[in-house]
Amino acid sequence: MVNYSYFPGCNLKTNAKGFEKSAIAVSKKLEAELVEIPNWNCCGTVHTMTADNLMKRIAPVRVLARSRKHVEELENSSQDIVTLCSMCNSTLKIVNSEVLVDPEKLEVINFQLEDDEETYSSDMEVKHFLEILRDNIGFAKIANKVVKPLKGFKVTPYYGCMLLHPEEAKIDDEEMPSVLENLIESLGAEVVFSPLFKYCCGSYHIVSDEDIVTRQVQKIIDSAMIRGANALAVACPLCAYNLDQQQKMLMEKTGKKEAIPIFYFSQLMALAMGEPVEINHFEDHKIDPRILLKELKFK
Amino acid sequence: MSKAKTESKNTKKETTGNVKIYIMGSAYEVPATLTIMKAMEYAGYKFTRGSGCRAGFCGACSTVYRKEGDFRIYTALACQTMVEDGMVLTQLPFVPADKPTYDINNLTPSANTILRFYPEVARCLSCNACSKVCPQDIQVMDYIQFSLQGQIDKAAEESFDCVSCGLCAIRCPAEIPQYHVAELARRLYGKYLMIAPSYLDERIKEIIDGKYEDGFKELMALSKEKLEERYKNRDKE
Ligand code: SF4
Ligand code: SF4
Ligand code: FES
Repeated sequence: MVNYSYFPGCNLKTNAKGFEKSAIAVSKKLEAELVEIPNWNCCGTVHTMTADNLMKRIAPVRVLARSRKHVEELENSSQDIVTLCSMCNSTLKIVNSEVLVDPEKLEVINFQLEDDEETYSSDMEVKHFLEILRDNIGFAKIANKVVKPLKGFKVTPYYGCMLLHPEEAKIDDEEMPSVLENLIESLGAEVVFSPLFKYCCGSYHIVSDEDIVTRQVQKIIDSAMIRGANALAVACPLCAYNLDQQQKMLMEKTGKKEAIPIFYFSQLMALAMGEPVEINHFEDHKIDPRILLKELKFK
Repeated sequence: MSKAKTESKNTKKETTGNVKIYIMGSAYEVPATLTIMKAMEYAGYKFTRGSGCRAGFCGACSTVYRKEGDFRIYTALACQTMVEDGMVLTQLPFVPADKPTYDINNLTPSANTILRFYPEVARCLSCNACSKVCPQDIQVMDYIQFSLQGQIDKAAEESFDCVSCGLCAIRCPAEIPQYHVAELARRLYGKYLMIAPSYLDERIKEIIDGKYEDGFKELMALSKEKLEERYKNRDKE
């Protein structure tokens, strides 16, 4: 049993409960438990990614420092901080490498954190849970734990932007990624490749200009459906939100009949590993994945 | 009750005799055994605002001070903190902060509710300036972050000792009125998340059935002296 210090990020507690619960459940099953940092703050993405003002780096560095403390309290742990949200993963990875190559920057930030006894010394690694699954657990072990192979699931892996860019934050090859493909196959599902696997979902434009997101989503979904997919696998709560919500919008606006459910990769794992279906919070989805489960007689 | 924040080396050697403090820039010699509040009165100030319970509960007596040769800003409740030699201080009897009105019966205990009334919570930089300044030693940043995460129960519990002194709000670069956010979180917690004690309904029924009427009548008829005596000899848990 290995314990990982797990940083949830705000979305996992609000819009993406099913992502978190399913991931935690399978992590236990795989004897690589994700244990939440008892008190954590926002990874700081809003402020952190805008300018090089060091004040704005305090949030992510504090997260790294708190995780470092957490790791000391955990038994049999590694110096990794694990995230599920690809945005948090990206923010924390970028800042972690930034302060590693520039100790002076870190010193300035640490000066602010000294009074709180939360200084950081560049000794943590930021990992996305997908990296742990691939590099520390391995797909063979995952396949071993499958009790209900995902027969009839035709899944298009969708990476979005944040998992593959930029260089400091990517978790896989940016042109030919394979981690989601291998994972989906190890669960007994069929992979349906779509060339739009990292075509942007429209991201934060959802707040200011929904139409941009609608157009992006339509292309991504059409590309998967034409190739015969009946599901999409994602790793980012914002991608999931846009893809799910905007499909519903399109159906209402254009009278479009077909839609495909959006799954977090961890939800597919939880299904295949026989976890109770409720932990996936499918009721939060606009395109209800339970319809597909019924069609495929998946029980 | 509040913690005493000023136990530095200075105080320890100056516990007797007089110390020199500066109130809004003017120097005064005051006995070292006084609290900031009493020292100000000793120096001739009269409190009409900025003082209430004199016991560390009401949060009316926020004080901001620095010490000679120290860049840090210190804060305290004036009724709870002893003077120190070289203190340069002022009172902050009131902190302006917007307080939206809401009907607690029509809300959900979620991050969205917090953000609806206090959208500025999303601007928190995690600088922790608020926790450093809190005279109640509350992890203020943590409860703001818990609110933002929708962990209303944790926000309510962490903020429980808040006396609404407002000191955190004046230090916040995101301009968040933390104590009002905390109040909303605790109301949501009490209304929607806390499990009501099983004996509550029983007790309400007893009251409606008039079980305590005679007792109250008896108390109302007592003289002030008798009441005081009863109060002094009451059962304490
Ligand atoms: S949380 Fe803020 S308002 Fe409440 S006691 Fe602490 S500093 Fe004062
Ligand atoms: S002072 Fe304001 S910005 Fe800083 S941690 Fe506290 S709430 Fe957040
Ligand atoms: S006067 Fe009430 S806390 Fe100081």
